[in-house]
Amino acid sequence: GKVPASSILASAPSDRNLDTWRESGCRTTHCNLEVLQESTLVFLATKPHILPGVLQEIRPAVGPHHIVVSMAAGVSLQTLQRLLPAGTKVLRLMPNLPCVVQAGAMVFARGSGTGDGEAALLKSLLSSCGLCEEVPESYINIHTGLSGSGVAYVYLFAEALAEGAVKMGMPGGLANRIAAQTLLGAAKMMLETGEHPAKLRGDVCTPGGTTIHALHQLEKGALRATVMNAVEAATNRACDMAKD
Amino acid sequence: MSVGFIGAGQLALALARGFTAAGVLAAHKITASSPDTDLPTVSGLRKMGVNFTVSNKDTVKSSDVLFLAVKPPIIPFILEEVGPDIEPRHIVVSCAAGVTISSIEKKLSTFCPTPKVIRCMTNTPVIVREGATVYATGTHADVEDGKLLEQLMASVGFCTEVEEDLIDAVTGLSGSGPAYAFTALDALADGGVKMGLPRRLAVRLGAQALLGAAKMLLESEQHPGQLKDNVCSPGGATIHALHFLESGGFRSLLINAVEASCIRTRELQHLADQEKISPAAIKKTLLDKVKLESPSLSVASANKVSLFNSKSPSSKKN
Repeated sequence: GKVPASSILASAPSDRNLDTWRESGCRTTHCNLEVLQESTLVFLATKPHILPGVLQEIRPAVGPHHIVVSMAAGVSLQTLQRLLPAGTKVLRLMPNLPCVVQAGAMVFARGSGTGDGEAALLKSLLSSCGLCEEVPESYINIHTGLSGSGVAYVYLFAEALAEGAVKMGMPGGLANRIAAQTLLGAAKMMLETGEHPAKLRGDVCTPGGTTIHALHQLEKGALRATVMNAVEAATNRACDMAKD
Repeated sequence: MSVGFIGAGQLALALARGFTAAGVLAAHKITASSPDTDLPTVSGLRKMGVNFTVSNKDTVKSSDVLFLAVKPPIIPFILEEVGPDIEPRHIVVSCAAGVTISSIEKKLSTFCPTPKVIRCMTNTPVIVREGATVYATGTHADVEDGKLLEQLMASVGFCTEVEEDLIDAVTGLSGSGPAYAFTALDALADGGVKMGLPRRLAVRLGAQALLGAAKMLLESEQHPGQLKDNVCSPGGATIHALHFLESGGFRSLLINAVEASCIRTRELQHLADQEKISPAAIKKTLLDKVKLESPSLSVASANKVSLFNSKSPSSKKN
């Protein structure tokens, strides 16, 4: 409820995706320049390889009043600033998928032309979609590995939990719903209590009980190291892709 | 109060050293006995001023608190031997891993109707007064008897009362624990040496690091996970190292170790109950010397030592 739909203008070369926008009450166009003319806060939501071309196209229409927010993976602030007029207020944003259910995790970094006011505006706006924090640009790739891709790790874990339950005799649909709720509940506890996850984990482990037996299995499988490897791999890949 | 040790090995020496260093007991109030006078620990005890004798019976007679500080398979022989000299005033404290209170009480009850028995599990760092001790009181041991032992053992480290069924787990954790730590320290020192440190310095620093970390944890309200995080700066050296530990399944190895030690303790206790300990588990010279003291004992067969064999059928275990 932060911004009325009528204040949102989205552009795309074809109508393929624009219907969804129009259904929400947003205005649409096929002209990128129109977006620059009608808007102050402009999100660049194209695929990374398209972006340089788009920036060239809109450059003449970018003014000192604009705030340009790029969501293109691997396109650095330096590149953005190079392709736009000097002094343009540029920010780089990395969201994740659950933004669609207002439970996203987003980080953004500001360019040299951006001040506290613009950063605060963006943060306030995006907080409606979940957690939003400003970070140094170097954290953005890490965020990709942790939370951008991280969502997939969670899906994998949830699937495995459910499969375990199915193996033990529970129907799949029910197992899936319970698995998801378990993850949601655990995450909520972490966020709301602010306690260290190790402490929360210990709280669940009655001596000699079911949980500690299960955790031993996870440790035997070196789950922790594997997860660390995953975050590292995704982060490194993000760095590599940025160089291309 | 006087204290006696049946057995003059590592445990007796460690406890005697600890008690005297703590000032709770003068050396001359301590008696220790063993048929084997060649043990290196015997001269240590003698040098301290502890009364050493080859007669277990003498130890019993001159003690109020009697520690059974012999290896678990020897316990039944000892109980058979000194049973007749146990009086109501005695507090019999067994430190033997896996030996249950009920097995000791059963054995002693043929000689004394209400023996005061306490089972205790401690560890070697009592020698530097940083022991970890738990105890469980037997049927006829009063609250004051437990408190008396607790006072003694608290002088050489941490001591708390527990239910007997937890003692095997304690054995796995803090009983064997120092061995895990020594292994870790040896390896840490190797790491230091590999990266260029002289061995002595590497050992000294490794030990201090573990000592300091343990102290921090004991004095902190924080979870060890939090304390670990506090050491790990983002992208720094420590987190890189920890990743290696995780990859190697460090945590599960430690869990496995505690579990294995606990299970083995229970196994040994089971074997003892079923009288299946082989004579090879007991040094022949020791066995001979013990048999000299107690002619009523017998070795049932070449393959099997009948641990609770005696003339009185009521004491035979099945």
